[in-house]
Amino acid sequence: MKRAPQVTAVSILLLSTLAGATNARAQTAPPSGKKASAIQVLMIQSDEIKLPAEFQISLYENLIQQLEKKGGFQHVYREGDHNADAVADLVVLHSTVRGFKKGSEMARNVTTVAGKTSIDIHCQFTDKDGKSMLERDVNGKVRFLGGNLRATLDFAKKGAKLARDNFAANPAS
Amino acid sequence: MVQRAMRISLIFLAGILGATAFPSAAQPPDAGTKVVQVMGLAGVKANAKGSLTPENGNLQFEHSKAKVSVPIHSVEDVITGNDSQRVFRGTIGTLTMLAPYGGGRFLSLFRGKLDTLTIQYRDADGGLHGAIFTMALGKAEPLKKELVAQGAHTSVPIQEDSGASNAQEKKP
Repeated sequence: MKRAPQVTAVSILLLSTLAGATNARAQTAPPSGKKASAIQVLMIQSDEIKLPAEFQISLYENLIQQLEKKGGFQHVYREGDHNADAVADLVVLHSTVRGFKKGSEMARNVTTVAGKTSIDIHCQFTDKDGKSMLERDVNGKVRFLGGNLRATLDFAKKGAKLARDNFAANPAS
Repeated sequence: MVQRAMRISLIFLAGILGATAFPSAAQPPDAGTKVVQVMGLAGVKANAKGSLTPENGNLQFEHSKAKVSVPIHSVEDVITGNDSQRVFRGTIGTLTMLAPYGGGRFLSLFRGKLDTLTIQYRDADGGLHGAIFTMALGKAEPLKKELVAQGAHTSVPIQEDSGASNAQEKKP
């Protein structure tokens, strides 16, 4: 009988731990389980941050390329494509640049540790009506080998993975 | 032993310099602006070399395997910029990394300046595309002028000759 308070305390501790874990999982999980057959990528916006044109285009083109390769969607539409209007379960990806640091390829080659290029982009997935479904910050960077534009490829790979994991109808493909 | 190794590395570096630093004498006749299509042009591989010519209302990119044309009236934005790249790049550039005594790092200091030309255009379905080209220094601005003259749009006004404008400003 003396052990009863101890058992109760351990049970409460276990229950609270379990509740905390469930809560944490709920925060990291996507807000909706909606799957889509097609995605439309809008041009990368950089109103607050001055982004060179070649980086903007490279981000957009690499993102489309990666979504076509590994996104798991039947169709990937570009901004303004009329064919996307007829798709019912369309997901629209809006990307806004939040941070940009242009490094130096020469500094990377010579010093190995300096000259990192980094881009921070806020990705928002919405449905056709503009209702937000998921928002995440995605980072692209190049630390060692390659030109500065390689950071855009890093972002594109991460962005495509995010889209595939949360919205692709057949994520295995 | 050390002197011999240094001599070998010096010969190695001199060989690379001789093989890549000087342009080859036998070049085809100049047709359009010689460019490298970094990415974005539909149906063309990344980093494809070719020539870019605006003619008859089309921007034509011609390279060894194909000819791609974009209607100039569909070009929504033309932006020029500048960048730099390693003189020793590609396979040779990678091989220089193996050079002893930090020779690869030393060669990384040799960089060539280049111009970039970025365009945004719409396809037949209204889809927005972007393409990036790199070319020799001083070639992008004339190409942009020609594109704008033939009906392309730009969000950045064309730069006038800065030398002439400065001279005019100095007059009392």
